[in-house]
Amino acid sequence: MSSEIKMEKKTVSEWVKSGDPWVWLNAGAVAISVIMVVGLLLLIAVRGLGHFWPADVMQATYSLPGEKAYTVAAERVESVDVTSAQLREAGVNLPENEDAILQRTLLKMGNRDVYGADFGWVLDKYLSDIKTPSMLFAAERHEWGNLYGYLKSVKNDGQIISQTNDLTETDSSLATWAAFEKSIERASTIHEDIKEIEKSEIGTINYALERIRLKQRRLELSGDLTPAVEADLAVERSVHDAEYAVLQEKLAVLYQAINRDSFTVQVMDGTLHEVQVSKIVHAFRPNAMGVTAKLGFYFNKVWEFLTDDPREANTEGGVFPAIFGTVMMVLLMTVLVTPFGVVAAVYLREYATQGIVTRIIRIAVNNLAGVPSIVYGVFGLGFFIYFLGSGIDEAFFPEALPSPTFGTGGLMWASITLALLTVPVVIVATEEGLSRIPRNVREGSLALGATKAETLWRVVLPMASPAIMTGVILAVARAAGEVAPLMLVGVVKLAPTLPLDGNYPFIHLDQKFMHLGFHIYDVGFQSPNVEAARPLVYATAFLLVMVIALLNLSAVTIRNHLREKYKSLEM
Amino acid sequence: MSEVKTHSIDISAMQRSQQALRIEDEKVCLSVNDLHLYYGEKEALKGIDMIIPEKKVTAFIGPSGCGKSTLLRCFNRMNDLVDSCRITGEINLHDSNIYAKGTDVAELRRRVGMVFQKPNPFPKSIYENVAYGLRIQGINKKRILDETVEWALRSAALWDEVKDRLHESALGMSGGQQQRLVIARTVAVKPEVLLLDEPASALDPISTLKIEELIHELKKDFTIAIVTHNMQQAARVSDYTAFMYIGDLVEFGDTNTLFTNPSKQQTEDYITGRYG
Repeated sequence: MSSEIKMEKKTVSEWVKSGDPWVWLNAGAVAISVIMVVGLLLLIAVRGLGHFWPADVMQATYSLPGEKAYTVAAERVESVDVTSAQLREAGVNLPENEDAILQRTLLKMGNRDVYGADFGWVLDKYLSDIKTPSMLFAAERHEWGNLYGYLKSVKNDGQIISQTNDLTETDSSLATWAAFEKSIERASTIHEDIKEIEKSEIGTINYALERIRLKQRRLELSGDLTPAVEADLAVERSVHDAEYAVLQEKLAVLYQAINRDSFTVQVMDGTLHEVQVSKIVHAFRPNAMGVTAKLGFYFNKVWEFLTDDPREANTEGGVFPAIFGTVMMVLLMTVLVTPFGVVAAVYLREYATQGIVTRIIRIAVNNLAGVPSIVYGVFGLGFFIYFLGSGIDEAFFPEALPSPTFGTGGLMWASITLALLTVPVVIVATEEGLSRIPRNVREGSLALGATKAETLWRVVLPMASPAIMTGVILAVARAAGEVAPLMLVGVVKLAPTLPLDGNYPFIHLDQKFMHLGFHIYDVGFQSPNVEAARPLVYATAFLLVMVIALLNLSAVTIRNHLREKYKSLEM
Repeated sequence: MSEVKTHSIDISAMQRSQQALRIEDEKVCLSVNDLHLYYGEKEALKGIDMIIPEKKVTAFIGPSGCGKSTLLRCFNRMNDLVDSCRITGEINLHDSNIYAKGTDVAELRRRVGMVFQKPNPFPKSIYENVAYGLRIQGINKKRILDETVEWALRSAALWDEVKDRLHESALGMSGGQQQRLVIARTVAVKPEVLLLDEPASALDPISTLKIEELIHELKKDFTIAIVTHNMQQAARVSDYTAFMYIGDLVEFGDTNTLFTNPSKQQTEDYITGRYG
């Protein structure tokens, strides 16, 4: 009791002396950091992951005063409050006695090919007759975004196999829907086959033909192109051409098959449209789906996002090539930066005379870590690509000129540029680790007749490996999130093939690649369809954070394992 | 435990019964001629002349900072690692000067092994610790390694304690075991000389006793030089003792004589505890 009374009488100077303000300050700083990180993650997670949920599609009549009423079928995207004055300024005809503040909702109406735009704002007040009919369906298409409407009939080779006039759930409408789903399933199977042939098999043939062309050009340049060789090459080429012809025939058959089915759909303005089933990725009736069905659909969509190629200027489909490019680039960077940084640190710490020169080098290395990354990008472009790359092209790939092989941005140059960017981190961490190896362990090794190099290799470096891994972790964290330099040295908006495939030599270091960070930028700011792209920006950002976290976690796991193995630093 | 006791009695009994040894009768292993050592400007060894007799234990005693560890580290050129260190004079291992130009220092250190004050096992398995020196020499045949590891661990009286966990980390052993492991590791490369730099100062009394016992066993095969702060220990384990004081070798001779009848006043003052 007495202590409580005393506390209340504490003077300010006593309070400062007690250290409490510092504790509060520290705790406050930590709390703010945690809140910011968690808030950021929550924001991008909610906005990004919500995108895949199959929201109900509502049908409503929209009648602005003084304008013709029309029916809309759409998903609600977001609602905001606006003042009527603002709306009037924007040219909306509102009655005199209108409320000061109105709620406005962004609707995803789809059917871009019919309406011209697939998103639109409406005033909630003038929406009437809102319902969610269960037969209203949504269909994702390979092009033109979503389609919303009522299924009227399904045709097979122009012949109607099933049709309905009902807009509600009846036997006839459900039967037509079943026929539609079956038809879509068939079309997707064929679509997969076509993609397989086009991308993989024809891709391989094209690759082989290109190699033959380059071989011929190389021989031509060196003057070794005899008629005999040329004939050989022609034979080879004709083999591939024959294969290609076979595939073309197969493709023609498949295309005919995939274009067999079509369906008619009634959209909200009452018009009927005939659409080929092959244009549909999948169709679903969100209003008829239960929570389980929606969950299933949701995870399917997430999976598609993770594993599919992007469609429609990156605003639909998946981001698999970008994930792959990011991870591959970071791994390649790690492979390059680790030995380089470790070797440099070993020299600086173990061999170089500790004097003014090493001090200057150390300061320079530390400062390198602070150079803006875009500067590295410029350096990479100027030195690696234009100087080294074109040198390599002239020396090793003259047959491909004037189209550059390494004289243009690519996976290798991007990795090297990022390795350069992150090497100071590895050097500093490794030096730190080396300096903490107890002297008596080194002496123990030397006293057994080991040379300095043997001691380093067998004892010191293994013991310093956790510190090296710490450096690698920091390097990975920095490199995976870097975008600016990559835009100059090899990242593209859309790469037709992955840098790793089945064509010899399997890893194509000269190829351009996609990257999640750049993908965010591209989808967010270069996209023709801003509204459609926005949720993808969040989803991709969330994914990028997850990929970096995953890369880091695996590095941390390796480090902890090493730490456990070499925990003798307490000596 | 009982084993330890009987041995300790043995040692002291043997020590007492010995006649005074004469350094002139010994075979010379290492001879030190006018050795000066400087750390920068400071002269840490001021002209040492002595010999280390073969297959005997030579102890170095003296107060802290007297240069005894520095001298010991000269025998396998460990002082080379100190940048500011400069040495004049010579040390001959048998007949070759180890400070001559072109000496293979790694080879020298293999012939003159060293055990340090603190146990410094490598963060590897017990087996790999002992095999380390051999692997350095390029010996990787499993049969040879197995044999040598067992022999070395037996020599260091450690085999029975660790034979079932050879492939576990050496860092899990007790301090005394670690120090014997380090001795085994040094012995495994079969050096001619063993330098022990206060090998028991970080250990408990029982482990210390084991190390002393071990020294007694090892001198059959190795020339041993030991630095110690503990005069009882010097008296117990050594045949010859050198007393050093601020960089000078004050007195060097048969251990019994040095402890019972020192010829210099400084030595007597030190061993009777008047300073140091």
